[in-house]
Amino acid sequence: MDERTRTEQSQPIHLPPPDESGDGLTPPGPYERIINWLAGLPWWALILGVVAVAVLYSMLTSEAYRRVIQSLTDNPQSSTEDLYNVVQIVGEPTMIVGRYAGETQDSVTTVVDELLDTVIGTSQVTRTGFLLAEDPASITLRTDGGLVTIPKDRIVDEQREMVGGNEQITLTYIERVTVSGTLTKRTDKTMTIRTVNEAAQTFAVSRVLSRTVIPCTQVNAPGCEEGEYVTIERQGEIVTGTLNTLSNTNLSLSLPDGNTREIRRSDIDRFDVPTLTVALNARSAARSIVPDDEVRIAFVLDTDIMKALDELETLDDVPVPLRYADGQSRVVLIGYGTLDEALAATGAGEADALLYLDDGPDRRYVETWVEDNPRAGVALPTPPRECQKGCKVTVKLNDDVLTGRIEWETDDEIRLVTTEAQYIDLDRSKIVENRRMEPGACALNNLRGCNAGIFLTLRVTFQAYGLALLIGLFFGLLRVQTNPVLYAVSTLYVEVVRGIPLLVILLYAGFVVSPQIRDTFGVNLSDEQEAVLGLAFGYGAFIAEIFRAGIQSISRGQMEAARSLGMSYPQGMRFVVLPQAVRVVLPPLGNDFIAMLKDSALISVLALPDLLQLGRLYVSRTFRAFEGYNTVAILYLLMTLFLSMVVRIIERRTRLPH
Amino acid sequence: MSQPLEPIIKIENAHKRFHTLRGTVHALNGVSLNIKPGEVVVIVGPSGSGKSTLLRCINRLETLDGGSITVDGILLKGARNINKVRAEVGMVFQQFNLFPDRTALGNIVLAQRVVRKRKKAEAMARANELLAKVGIPEKADSYPAQLSGGQQQRVAIARALAMNPKIMLFDEPTSALDPEMIKEVLDVMLTLAREGMTMVVVSHEMGFARAAADRAVFMDGGVIIEEDAPDVLFSNPSHERTKLFLSKIL
Repeated sequence: MDERTRTEQSQPIHLPPPDESGDGLTPPGPYERIINWLAGLPWWALILGVVAVAVLYSMLTSEAYRRVIQSLTDNPQSSTEDLYNVVQIVGEPTMIVGRYAGETQDSVTTVVDELLDTVIGTSQVTRTGFLLAEDPASITLRTDGGLVTIPKDRIVDEQREMVGGNEQITLTYIERVTVSGTLTKRTDKTMTIRTVNEAAQTFAVSRVLSRTVIPCTQVNAPGCEEGEYVTIERQGEIVTGTLNTLSNTNLSLSLPDGNTREIRRSDIDRFDVPTLTVALNARSAARSIVPDDEVRIAFVLDTDIMKALDELETLDDVPVPLRYADGQSRVVLIGYGTLDEALAATGAGEADALLYLDDGPDRRYVETWVEDNPRAGVALPTPPRECQKGCKVTVKLNDDVLTGRIEWETDDEIRLVTTEAQYIDLDRSKIVENRRMEPGACALNNLRGCNAGIFLTLRVTFQAYGLALLIGLFFGLLRVQTNPVLYAVSTLYVEVVRGIPLLVILLYAGFVVSPQIRDTFGVNLSDEQEAVLGLAFGYGAFIAEIFRAGIQSISRGQMEAARSLGMSYPQGMRFVVLPQAVRVVLPPLGNDFIAMLKDSALISVLALPDLLQLGRLYVSRTFRAFEGYNTVAILYLLMTLFLSMVVRIIERRTRLPH
Repeated sequence: MSQPLEPIIKIENAHKRFHTLRGTVHALNGVSLNIKPGEVVVIVGPSGSGKSTLLRCINRLETLDGGSITVDGILLKGARNINKVRAEVGMVFQQFNLFPDRTALGNIVLAQRVVRKRKKAEAMARANELLAKVGIPEKADSYPAQLSGGQQQRVAIARALAMNPKIMLFDEPTSALDPEMIKEVLDVMLTLAREGMTMVVVSHEMGFARAAADRAVFMDGGVIIEEDAPDVLFSNPSHERTKLFLSKIL
């Protein structure tokens, strides 16, 4: 294309004002100008433009084409949280495996979360030694290997015996934890890993025979039943009242002022039942209390302390100072006039604990008070009994029974989450080994996870071409040697490989060479590596010939000049001949790159899901051969046109002035 | 000039054959020649007489089939590091052989960096100095294709000089030039000769030979027919063959 023409086109055209006296020349009309501008474009820009417009048009108007393109590009999502599939070994598994449940004088209890236990592998270690020190969080032993401090929440078994007057303890504790799952978030300090994937099912409402709401009586998921007094936190607002009705989507509350209020369950941030509130004196909470100790319990005078004590017994997890309050120790009840007084007294140590049960205002007051008075010495051991946002239901279908949380429900369909996703935050500094990290799902924010279709085609082509360049350069250099052995070896390679169809070479690489390599060296090549090797080996011969021709096209005088200046043969090649030869061979090299991109379609014989293979799968699945192969062809065409444009630009950039 | 110095180039009974499809050509057929340091020798002779071959043998671009050449005390045959010898022997070609993908400056800098391992700044300084010496300092950033033949040949001379050679070989340096550019190249060569560079020049430039050369050598058929002071050789040759040749070119 003529450079001059285009430069002129790119400048603003200043039209002369319409001249009445006139020389007969009229300024060009807009139509003419568009034609001129189009004529000034290079041919490939025209094709590229037409194709781009056509593709865009199809994508916008045809659902079928949109689906093909999606399927050929590895079905990318717009965003994903599945960044990597990982296996991490964590050295200090505090907070992951166990939950320190409490202790008596003789043993430490650790609750290992069963669900997590199934997805997290642990390695346990047993240590024996003499007790040196013990505090609420850890035990320090003197062992043969020195001092060992073990956090109590990592201890899974403990035996104590007296040896020669000293107490010898054998502890089994968790040393390392293997966490496998999907990395969903990564910061400088932490890693969030999803260890359990959400499992959900969508089914038609018509299939449902019956539906039972599971009464939420489980300890970990206490539900809220109709008639209970509840507190709801909804977009920053706190509402308390009696629960009238509770459906999967809505609930209605009777407010203290007599009004009724409907609240959508999806809007609720927190939903809990005022229940027995236990506040502890912080020092008592840390102290071990033995059966015969005196337990002092504070209460507010006009509340029902006896009912509160009954409630205490139903607690699954009784705080230490109150553990022996049910008859084993002497219980002293101290009444106070107001909640504030009772709290202050508990903090001051007049009482070991405060029990507070009220149908009216909730425990939130206690929580707020503790937060506002951090130095009062009051601790809150138990979390509130929180209602689940969506209560679980058991749905009986005509052929199945499912239990789970309803995620959404329309008039036609229901989506039921049968397994909730589980997440773990790992402290990155505690990760001792990164055993596996593979790209996760394909999405626009995680392109490294895209590895099928057009992505595979491009990746294999680039890798194979890079390798083919190295092979070609090597053999091309051998081809211009005077040494007969080197010349013969390179000629043999070129002639043999050039004479075998690329398809045969690929099959050879995949089914002959690769198994041989596996048997001989024990190296397992992936399908993709086989394809890259096959393509590179096959194209290396052509590229070797290109390099040979390029080197031979450089006049002998160049090498002689280089040698006469004292350069060695390799130096002359490297600094004088090759830079000139590469300029000469750029166009044929670019040609070969485009040819290889097209020939990469052959790798589907190695069962690789490249662009063509995915296209064929799509066609066989939908019988839409027209749209399927059209799209495959257009995508190849777009890629090759784009590449020839790039090659052209490189050629222009490297052209010498003359 | 003619102090009893040890010759820097010693050629003894050099033989060189080329094998072609039409048979063997005896390009050098027993040539012996000694050149002392600082001496300027002009070699003349008809085409195919072996003068270019002799020159190319001196830096082993061609290898001898018989006899020996010693350059600066190193016997070329089997010399272990021929590149060291070559770095001391600059060569200027008839076709210039500049590197077309490098600027004039780049041409001069390259070998200094690669062979002499000079620092970039040092090599650039030397290149600029030499470009000034050959009279084209303003062409430093021009590519060979943008230079005239005479300018290219001067860059080629500067490129060879940049290696600080002890000997300069000129292989018909002006034969590919337009007549009006010949003088600018010869002027540079003349300056070099006056500075005491040892030079071996294959050329038919009688004017240059008379002005600068210590000795003129006439070759034909792969042997040296006669050698003498240029004035004597050109005006009063003793051999018939020389007379015939001179009568044709003068």
